[in-house]
Amino acid sequence: MSSKIGGHTGYLLIDNRASPGVSEEFIRASGKNAPFAPEGTCFEADTYTCSHCHAVVIKNPQRQRERAICRKCMRVVCDTCITECVPFNKVLEDLQNQAFHNVK
Amino acid sequence: MAKWSFKKATWTPVAVADTVNFTDSGYMGLMGGSTTQRIKIMEVYMGGQATASAPSLMILSRDSTVQATPTALSTGESNAALDPATAALAAAMIAFTASTTKPQRSATLGLLSLSYNAFGGIVRWVAAPDEEIGMLGNTASFGEVSLSAYTGGTPGLTGSHIIYEPL
Repeated sequence: MSSKIGGHTGYLLIDNRASPGVSEEFIRASGKNAPFAPEGTCFEADTYTCSHCHAVVIKNPQRQRERAICRKCMRVVCDTCITECVPFNKVLEDLQNQAFHNVK
Repeated sequence: MAKWSFKKATWTPVAVADTVNFTDSGYMGLMGGSTTQRIKIMEVYMGGQATASAPSLMILSRDSTVQATPTALSTGESNAALDPATAALAAAMIAFTASTTKPQRSATLGLLSLSYNAFGGIVRWVAAPDEEIGMLGNTASFGEVSLSAYTGGTPGLTGSHIIYEPL
């Protein structure tokens, strides 16, 4: 396992190799922007979770541009969360602390 | 803390739109056991069991309306620690598939879109270490996450589990 920033990736598998699968038209008709695997195919991809918004991002293997790394929290972030560093875990920690104080 | 698995051996997801009441037994829901409990979701798996084509638009999402008065898990459903040495928690997480007040999927806080065909298809998402999906407390919108079907598909029989860790 890599130790560089962004080196740890999640994994998404949609295996329709033994299945009629899901067509692109079907996904489009649903209005969702979702990964899909047509009949007889298998979709595998690395994923990462944006440190700031916790969106799970499917990595595009053909992407040439570097992924954004927040220099404050030193984690990979999605393309829409580059500007301000507000890690989602920090938000949860703050809310948790607030809840602890309310409980006591 | 220890890892837990919430599994449902065989069920048919009921397709509902965002911010609409879920149908009992047609979804999987996970809620924090207290106002301060944190949970990290690290894996979601679904294996199709349908006997005919069943394209399913499955969504893992935060809920904008959380359940109240959950019904105990029934046959084929369980919420168990992965390690037998795991101690009982003071505030146990609530894994549920039915409740008196129905939960509703958030329209804006969807987490994973896992479309697959339940006629022989398989979906598995695993988080990278330290990149798990976080939950906090037991209120909307961070305190409850659900696995459910979005409208448009014809969901079929599925077996599934969610692996998570309370902190």
